[in-house]
Amino acid sequence: MGFSFELMVFGSTIAALITMAFLLYYFTADYKRNLLGESASSLTKEQSNLLLTKMRREISFSAFFMDDSKSIGVRYLITSIVLFFIGGLAGIGMRISLWFPNPSFLTPIQYNILLTAHGNIMLYGFAIGMILAFGYYLLPSANKIEKDTLGVVKSIMFWLFLIGSLFIIFSKSTATWYFYYPLVDQLTEAGGGTYSFATLIGVTLILLAVTVSSVIFLKMVFLDRSKSIPLSKISMFSWSIVSTAVLVLTSAPVSMIANGYLIYDLINPIFFQAANGQVLGYAIMFWFWGHPLVYIAILPAFGLIYEMLPKYAGVPIYSYRAGVFSLLLLMIFSAVVWGHHLFNSGLGTIWDLLFSTTSFLVVIPSAMSVFNWIATLWSAKSIKLTVPMLFVLNGIVDFVIGGILGVYLADVGLNAFIHGTYAVTSHFHWIFIGLTAGIGFGAIYILFPTLTGGRTYNVPMAKVHFYLNSVGTIMMSGFWLVGGFAGMPRRVAGYFGIFQTYQDAAAVGGVILGIGFLIFLINFAYSAYLPAKVDVRNPIEDEVQVT
Amino acid sequence: MNKATPIVLLVLVLIAAGASFGWFLISPGGAVSYQQGTYNSSQVIVLYANAQGWNYNSSNPNPTLNEKLHTLLEFKVIEQDGLPHTLTIAAGPNETTDTSNWIVNVPIPTTVGSVTWVNWSFANPGLYTYWCTVHPYTMVGKLYVNGTANSTSNESAVQFSVHDSSNFDVHYQNSVTYETADYNEQVR
Repeated sequence: MGFSFELMVFGSTIAALITMAFLLYYFTADYKRNLLGESASSLTKEQSNLLLTKMRREISFSAFFMDDSKSIGVRYLITSIVLFFIGGLAGIGMRISLWFPNPSFLTPIQYNILLTAHGNIMLYGFAIGMILAFGYYLLPSANKIEKDTLGVVKSIMFWLFLIGSLFIIFSKSTATWYFYYPLVDQLTEAGGGTYSFATLIGVTLILLAVTVSSVIFLKMVFLDRSKSIPLSKISMFSWSIVSTAVLVLTSAPVSMIANGYLIYDLINPIFFQAANGQVLGYAIMFWFWGHPLVYIAILPAFGLIYEMLPKYAGVPIYSYRAGVFSLLLLMIFSAVVWGHHLFNSGLGTIWDLLFSTTSFLVVIPSAMSVFNWIATLWSAKSIKLTVPMLFVLNGIVDFVIGGILGVYLADVGLNAFIHGTYAVTSHFHWIFIGLTAGIGFGAIYILFPTLTGGRTYNVPMAKVHFYLNSVGTIMMSGFWLVGGFAGMPRRVAGYFGIFQTYQDAAAVGGVILGIGFLIFLINFAYSAYLPAKVDVRNPIEDEVQVT
Repeated sequence: MNKATPIVLLVLVLIAAGASFGWFLISPGGAVSYQQGTYNSSQVIVLYANAQGWNYNSSNPNPTLNEKLHTLLEFKVIEQDGLPHTLTIAAGPNETTDTSNWIVNVPIPTTVGSVTWVNWSFANPGLYTYWCTVHPYTMVGKLYVNGTANSTSNESAVQFSVHDSSNFDVHYQNSVTYETADYNEQVR
């Protein structure tokens, strides 16, 4: 029949056009000439690299045509902000739909599509995109790197990241973000989703991008670093990126292999079949990556807190060594706790106890970091409560609440009762909104003069953004927490009427969060539209007096 | 920083978020729908999905079905070979690639032995073709629906409509359910 043939011709044409445009883009874009102007031809390669590293890059669409690290960082920043709002709107849609116990606004299939899209876009698009953005943007100046090479590789990895995100958006899978096998194989809208394989391809492309980028980060920190910075003095953000990159390199390839098996299984089911006793196989391989992913999302936020907190406290971080030790210990522990996602899947009591113990041990490095921050604040003469500092303090509080809730979840016995309830959702939303998103946007505020080329953000609007963000998180995650302990199930389009109070309050919180981030967007557009009036330097990258 | 950049970024974010949200909400399966006919009786039709033909291992592969109007046809589709299949019926007598003409199109899970129930009551009599869109040359059979369209029927029968968004079901079949197969099931 002509059906698949037409699709093939159509697809091949599109692919050929994209390839041509891509080649054209690479052969015409002389990024160094664009950046350095007329001096490009007179400088040696080393001189131009050094100049590019020191250059302050601002948010601009021309970054998509330049291959230096900072431009790549700007690309990831723009993309991840766009993806954040896409995923956020999906989340708010789910909240509004859950206002009444019976699904009124969304059918269950639409709810499942939004659920999967929200999870995938927020984790793979926003969290990873934000980490790559700050890694590419801050590492060159933090380490004063002497050469800025592999520009084409970085650029291609960005485009793979973008294509992967588009695959995730367009696929409309309903298999949730962890693609458990028997569900993902039911290729109907009511099952795992007809186009689950497209999501899997998109996720794998993003994994490839983040893996290669991690190698580049390690290269920047250990090989390209300026000789003037000894290893014992590199910034805390660099250490956090190092632990993140090692985590990615040890776990992401496993997930890529599992995704390859799974895509094959959708065509010819042989790998994760009940007949082989391998139904849990995908879940195990997934969580071997899936749990480190959570730490990959928060470790750079830790590093940013370590960078931002001393600037506003006016004193250096209380203990540099304890901070580094905590980050590296988190890296090690987070690789051995993945089994706590499968407590109720039949791994066996011995394994459950092992993973429960390792999960409890994560408290030690986390608490080391938190006490380090508290000690820094304690030793400060005066603390400047600027907007980035407010985000940092809010992030620490949210991390403590979410982390302690994680300790509850790590208990095997209690987990049997509260797994699959909103307590779990509450746990990771405390941490993701407070730490990953909060610190990310706080870092955008602290970098604002550099990112916008000499503008300052509107402080009252930024404070409104902060307070709405904080109150929204507390309302949403807090009521989820109470409802979760009362047994409110998550991942469902409807619920029992007794839970309506919690769901309605959480919906109000979600809408408040959404309004807060909309205010951020308006503030950004409005402030960046006004004429430039300040220096383009910022407290993280330069030694400037914070105000 | 160019003055236009923040404005473009704002518009880009709003358009991207709104368009994606709309895209997520577009119901899978398309907008065109067909109304089911009323029915006062039901008929189970067992079909084994095999890439070489429907009911390929029986004495009568790709059977020609004769059914009455005002009958709920309950297709019990059993996966036989582990390959992807669909049960598809168009609004005309022949196979078509025009998806908007499909009145039934249900993917069959690839787990061998899985059972997919596809229920449909035809509103109009006539000749139909049931086929698999993955194997359109081998898995093709004819379906005659006999009767007159004007005859009255049981008013208590339920009418299903696409536009009833509160209805959980996929648009054009009133129920698709999956269960484990009985391997000893005989072909009718």
